[in-house]
Amino acid sequence: MVSLSIPGEAMLASISSSVLRGVDGVPVTVEVHVAGGLPAFTVVGLPDAACREARDRVRAAVLSSGLRWPQQRITVNLAPSGLPKAGSGLDLPMAIGVLVASGLLDSQRVADVAFLGELGLGGAVRPVAGIVPLVEALAERTVVVAPRCQAEASIVGRHCVRAAPTLAGVLAALEGSAPWAVGPSPLDRADSAAPISSGDLADVRGQPLARRAVEVAAAGGHHLFLVGPPGAGKTMLAQRLVGLLPLLEPSVALETTKIHSAAGERLPIGGLISWAPFRAPHHGASMAALVGGGSSWLRPGEISLASGGVLFLDELAEFTPAVLDALRQPLEEGRIRLARASGSVSFPARFLLVAASNPCPCGNAGTPQPCRCSVAIRRRYRRRLSAPLLDRFDLRLGVQRLDPERLTIGGPEESSEVVAARVAAARELARHRGVGANRDLAGALLERHAVLGSSGRALLTDALRQQRLTARGVDRVRRVARTLADLAGDAGAELRDEHLSLAMYLRAEPEALLGVEP
Amino acid sequence: MSGWSSSADGLSPQRAIGLGPTVGQVEAGPLGEEVHAAHVVALLALPGMGPARLGRLLSRHGSAERAWQQVAAGVSEAVFGQLGRRGDPVALAAAWQAAAAGVDPRARWQAHRAAGVVVLAKGGYGYPDRLVGDLEPPELLFAQGDIGLLGHPTVALVGTRRASAYGLRLARSWGDALASAGVVVVSGLAAGIDAAAHQGALDGLERSGCTPGPVAVVGTGHDVCYPASSRALWRRVADVGLILSEAPLGTRPEPWRFPARNRIIAALADVVVVVESHERGGSLSTAEEAAARNRVVLAVPGSVYSPASVGTHRLIAEGAGVAVSIEDVLLALGSRRPGSTPQPLPPTAPLGDAVRSGAGPMAEQERNLLDALGWEPTTLDDLVLRTAWSLDTVCAVLNQLQRLNLVTQAGIWLTQRGD
Ligand SMILES: [Zn+2]
Repeated sequence: MVSLSIPGEAMLASISSSVLRGVDGVPVTVEVHVAGGLPAFTVVGLPDAACREARDRVRAAVLSSGLRWPQQRITVNLAPSGLPKAGSGLDLPMAIGVLVASGLLDSQRVADVAFLGELGLGGAVRPVAGIVPLVEALAERTVVVAPRCQAEASIVGRHCVRAAPTLAGVLAALEGSAPWAVGPSPLDRADSAAPISSGDLADVRGQPLARRAVEVAAAGGHHLFLVGPPGAGKTMLAQRLVGLLPLLEPSVALETTKIHSAAGERLPIGGLISWAPFRAPHHGASMAALVGGGSSWLRPGEISLASGGVLFLDELAEFTPAVLDALRQPLEEGRIRLARASGSVSFPARFLLVAASNPCPCGNAGTPQPCRCSVAIRRRYRRRLSAPLLDRFDLRLGVQRLDPERLTIGGPEESSEVVAARVAAARELARHRGVGANRDLAGALLERHAVLGSSGRALLTDALRQQRLTARGVDRVRRVARTLADLAGDAGAELRDEHLSLAMYLRAEPEALLGVEP
Repeated sequence: MSGWSSSADGLSPQRAIGLGPTVGQVEAGPLGEEVHAAHVVALLALPGMGPARLGRLLSRHGSAERAWQQVAAGVSEAVFGQLGRRGDPVALAAAWQAAAAGVDPRARWQAHRAAGVVVLAKGGYGYPDRLVGDLEPPELLFAQGDIGLLGHPTVALVGTRRASAYGLRLARSWGDALASAGVVVVSGLAAGIDAAAHQGALDGLERSGCTPGPVAVVGTGHDVCYPASSRALWRRVADVGLILSEAPLGTRPEPWRFPARNRIIAALADVVVVVESHERGGSLSTAEEAAARNRVVLAVPGSVYSPASVGTHRLIAEGAGVAVSIEDVLLALGSRRPGSTPQPLPPTAPLGDAVRSGAGPMAEQERNLLDALGWEPTTLDDLVLRTAWSLDTVCAVLNQLQRLNLVTQAGIWLTQRGD
């Protein structure tokens, strides 16, 4: 930002940039001091391995750009010094700092300018991950990035985003002797990021209960657990669900985009993620990949990348107990906190959880086909799914293998477009109640908006007495019944018997679904 | 527990056999036939000792006590001719001698008494009449429970461990109905059909409190519950029914023991019903043993697509009777035992009558849904497709039927209650 020309030999430059902490950017000042003495190049201020490697890249980039490398003592300080700094985005600000401090670039040219970029040995300016939160953290009017980051950097909307392909190009543009690179202009929000083709709900035929469960999950944000043999269309249902979710609210879209940016995920053309993401990690993925982490650079995991959208865990019983246990905090708080030696970081993780499981290892328990597993094996399989986790699902249902005959019965089913309109209207009702979705209705809010009349009370009491419903399930059934009423356009606060009945059939006991006697 | 096990303490010797040197000095130890039994218990605990080998050993040496002495002395002649074509007589004699070393038959015998296991010797008190004239009567039976149950008419409900939902449902419901009709259900306490049949009989007992408990014939010792997952069921059967085994305490499950066990099930049953069997299922051996003993064999047909019904369909093709209702079984039993008239089945639930006869509100819709449900396990999706009603309506009416106990649900399967 400023460079002080000290009479005599020593010169100081200080350049603005930022680093990632979690999914947020933190401003960093790169101070470069060039003084007489034996030629040396040291970086201080808790740099990690990538920063130390930066020394070599910066020197090579400067030299191969045809510029002079000062044969003096160069000290780079990254401030604030207590902050762990990871990543290679500080290459460009370091190189610019060296050029300013050695008198090759006028300090006035970098006033109110921040720099973010990695340098190649040949002088190329390369993109860095997390550009959205990195730019968001900067107060400077102008930000210089790699050309491929330009659209992403423009999402924040507060800065004049500039780009050049090489260090020499940046220098020339700063001096006014060459134009900045012309990047792709950010597209309109509406046609940015078309959703991954997730199929239409009209394709789901012969499964009216599962169809409704998907609609209810989308409308009320209710977590959904599907149990059924292979070939029952569990994945197909999960993919259809994401297509029913409304466009992300602008603030959620920015947060989701920041997470994807910080994870180094490819962003859509135009940069902003405006559609609900769908993440389906494999059960073999590492703990760090699933919940977040990493040795030096804390990367958000799949559960954070699913934030604002759907996290689909197929073969739930195959995930390690540690992973399933780690889901508890995000399911309760909407965030995941990761503790590291360097301090703890928290990532957003507010997702709609859709989980699927076979009923038993052979897949046949609870189907007309004979199960080949022993009771002991079925129990062991069941035990992998902890009761507190299964209790988080408002919707739990068994699905059957699709019988081709069934696909031809009945008229055409509603398309995703029709259902999505109902979902959007129901979500609007939830917002008026002061919650993001009906799944968050609890306590006084539940009492006010999901009223049990005498008939509904008798209905639930009978079900409790017949052990078709557990006491813990009552509130969940009420919540789902509320969503069913919202979808039916029924604004009355008192729940209707038909919605309570249907809500109970949408919440089967896991023991029965998993072929184990309770 | 029956009163029988306590009265066994006062048994008087029916066959006087002097106490041999291997038994040593005895004060209140086994007497007479009990000495014989004690030595058979010890012999049965030897590795690989089945009913056939035991029979040959006993007939060669005249008495169990003498046979035991020969085995304990390692006399390979003792097992000469015991092996058929397999095995090495010298190695087997050595293995038996090693296993017999330090074993006190009297202590073995008393360990069974201490564990509440009664030892029934062939020809002795309490030995089931049904086995007395059998083709291959067990030398000894180890019993826990009410031996008097074998005086009732008996039906063996057997089938595969790898059963379908259909087979499990049928076995449980028929076990219940048979018990309710005063018939003793005999099975093997294996997983699958056996367990469901026992469970059904226990259901019937729990509902009425006066129906006969089930009889189980197992292939392991009484202290080795197999499969381990059936422990609770095992205990319940021992409490209110009867568990029989040919194997002494400590006997682990070994594949060859189960066909041998099946012959006892066949011998104890008036009628054998095979509910489900795979192509080469073990229950087919029960059917063969039953046919060899002139017992009525019935098989339950299933879906032709179901691998768990391939064996039962073959039985039907080979001439077994077809059982499609509990009446078929009772009829076969009645013709078998002209003296016994099975009690009528319990009356239907009064609430069910109201709906079935069309009384009360909503009865029209409820009856239509029951008709759509039929008598096979059905999913909600099927009901929506069959009635062409909305999902909401089907759920509301169905829930009403469940409240009236006319429909039960297991997982996704809805079933109309037939009682
Ligand atoms: Zn299975």
